[in-house]
Amino acid sequence: MKKVSLFVPCLVDVFAPSIGMAALELLKRSGATVIYHEEQTCCGQPALNAGYRDYALEAARRFITIFGDDEVIVSPAGSCVYTVKHHYPKLLMEESKWYTRALELSERIYELSQYLVDVAGVSEIGASYMGKITYHESCHILRGLGISAQPKKLLSAIEGAEVVPLFAAEICCGFGGEFAERYHYISEEMVKEKVNHFTNSGADLLVTCEPGCYLNIDGYLHRHKIEKKVLHIAQLLAGPEFQRV
Amino acid sequence: MKARTEEFNEIAQHEVKNEYARAFLGLLPPIIAMRRVQVMGSFPDPEKALALSQAIRAESVARLPELLEQFEKNAVEAGAKVLWARDGKEARDIIVNLARERGVSFVTKGKSMVTEEIGLNEVMKEAQIEPIETDLGEFIAQQLNRPPFHIVGPAINVPVEEIRDLFMKMGILKEDTTDPVQLGYAARLYLRDKFHHIKLGLTGINMAVAETGTIINVENEGNIRFNKSSPRTQVSIMTPEKVVPDMKDAMHLLRLLCRSCTGQKISAYVTMDTGPKKRGEIDGPEELFIVIVDNGRSIFYQDEKTREVLRCIRCGACLNTCPVYTKIGGYPYGFAYSGPMGQILNPLLLGFDRTADLYHACTLCGTCRSICPAGIDHPALFLYYRFREVEMDARFRPKRRPAKERLFFRIWHMANKKRARWDFSIKLSRVMMKKYEKEGWLSSMGQFFTGWFKERDFPAASRQTFREWWGQRKGR
Repeated sequence: MKKVSLFVPCLVDVFAPSIGMAALELLKRSGATVIYHEEQTCCGQPALNAGYRDYALEAARRFITIFGDDEVIVSPAGSCVYTVKHHYPKLLMEESKWYTRALELSERIYELSQYLVDVAGVSEIGASYMGKITYHESCHILRGLGISAQPKKLLSAIEGAEVVPLFAAEICCGFGGEFAERYHYISEEMVKEKVNHFTNSGADLLVTCEPGCYLNIDGYLHRHKIEKKVLHIAQLLAGPEFQRV
Repeated sequence: MKARTEEFNEIAQHEVKNEYARAFLGLLPPIIAMRRVQVMGSFPDPEKALALSQAIRAESVARLPELLEQFEKNAVEAGAKVLWARDGKEARDIIVNLARERGVSFVTKGKSMVTEEIGLNEVMKEAQIEPIETDLGEFIAQQLNRPPFHIVGPAINVPVEEIRDLFMKMGILKEDTTDPVQLGYAARLYLRDKFHHIKLGLTGINMAVAETGTIINVENEGNIRFNKSSPRTQVSIMTPEKVVPDMKDAMHLLRLLCRSCTGQKISAYVTMDTGPKKRGEIDGPEELFIVIVDNGRSIFYQDEKTREVLRCIRCGACLNTCPVYTKIGGYPYGFAYSGPMGQILNPLLLGFDRTADLYHACTLCGTCRSICPAGIDHPALFLYYRFREVEMDARFRPKRRPAKERLFFRIWHMANKKRARWDFSIKLSRVMMKKYEKEGWLSSMGQFFTGWFKERDFPAASRQTFREWWGQRKGR
């Protein structure tokens, strides 16, 4: 049985722990023994994106120290996985000892749907949903990690669900961390467009693999009282009891 | 041109509400982007074709000094005169003097972004030499005194009624019509007359071939060809990074340039000049000047990371797919170059203090990187600029980040180092958020995150974090 270490991103930890619980549930269903390092904090992505390189560097070393010996690490957030996989080696390029560890780690970290399909070989996880669903291709999942077929495979196996296409599914929803605050007037137009495409798709549920997109789209739907639902893929697959914030 | 990059937020907030421009932006860039994908499909192996053009650009930039020398040697051998300018002023002086010495009262111009970059038109006017833009879009933008909205279609956002009014006012349109064909015909008659009397034609350059000393221009209107073939004197201006090793490389880049630019396999006109008119030839200019203007590029060539910016071939594909550009259009970028291309280039040309919004107004979605025929990693460059900005690297003339932000990340950093501190910060912020909470949601947090809360809610912090839940579960 595979030992899988779960990394719960900070946004999920505080604002949507049910995504973490759902991820844990799915990993167990896939046959893994799940470990969770209670020392874990943030991967450093916010500092990195804002330009605070030194702080991000320290976060990277801390992450590597905590997760460095794990066989496999899985996280339900593409942008955090991308940070570890892609940015850590770049950040630590000049520190040979850390660089090697960062490179090794980057080989062993997976986004949740990617792990379930590519590593655990799961195609059907016992989920059901009555209705039409559509899938938003989050930037870091699609273009960062090259993941698209895996979540779609999992979605198409959901009993009762009809997966319908989303127009411009691969276009950014406008989250981008600090971007959504500083350039909110652009970000708002982006999320509005995403929600319009969602509405036009005829689906009643939009699914994403990225907590940032989830919070952004859900926050817009809630403010504008639009009767549509958005879920993180883990919440949908794990079942209704994991769909509360 | 006068840079207005500092006004990014003001102009962008205005443009995002510009319904006419938005309607256009929602339509045309996606169509060009789609055409690009279709036409890339005409390559037997599109991915490899893209990879090859990226490799050519990387090599061209890596060998830049050597290729420039080779280009100069071969261009001179073919009869061209190559003039080097360190900065915009030197380039402007060279061109104004060439025009003065030939006693011309006007010059016609093919579209050239570098002349916008160095503000050539303004200086020519001061010297009593009228610069006449002959690219239709550029002509309209010039008459309306506006910066280019899109690198490929500089006035593509201007309503047809406005163009009619402009042409009526200029007296080049006789009858009141908004028929695009009639409008195009009016401009054509006006410009043809200028071409008849042209003495000096000015163009940019898409590629300069080191192996042969040839300059190549790509266009769809034929105006550049007029500028190159009709006058006695041809002046073509470029920045150093336009040079490519050989004709084979140039031909492959040409295929990628046209596909990325307009979704064409090849543009309507491609012209190549190797020196001026030769003995026995009946067409072409008597003299050809090639002005190579550096304008700061050799400085950012020194830095291995910023050197990457020089790979850009100005195709504009990154504009058409950028989710930010397609909401705000070209004006907010405040300079000759807009979209992701401008976001990487303008900061190096103008300094970080004047352009901070350009490399921050991005979600790092990576669409530009995924389609760039020059192999530029735009998001990585934005991060690099942000790093240098926070570090206050004087080479880039940054302004210090706001005190509030620096404090926020200092606290974040302290908290992130130790789990106990992290948990304490979460508890503290949970208490702070409590008073704003309503049925599990926040619609405001007072003075914090006011941008986010304008159109969006945020879930209230959960009563239990994942870690707390895990700890409890374990204890049970």
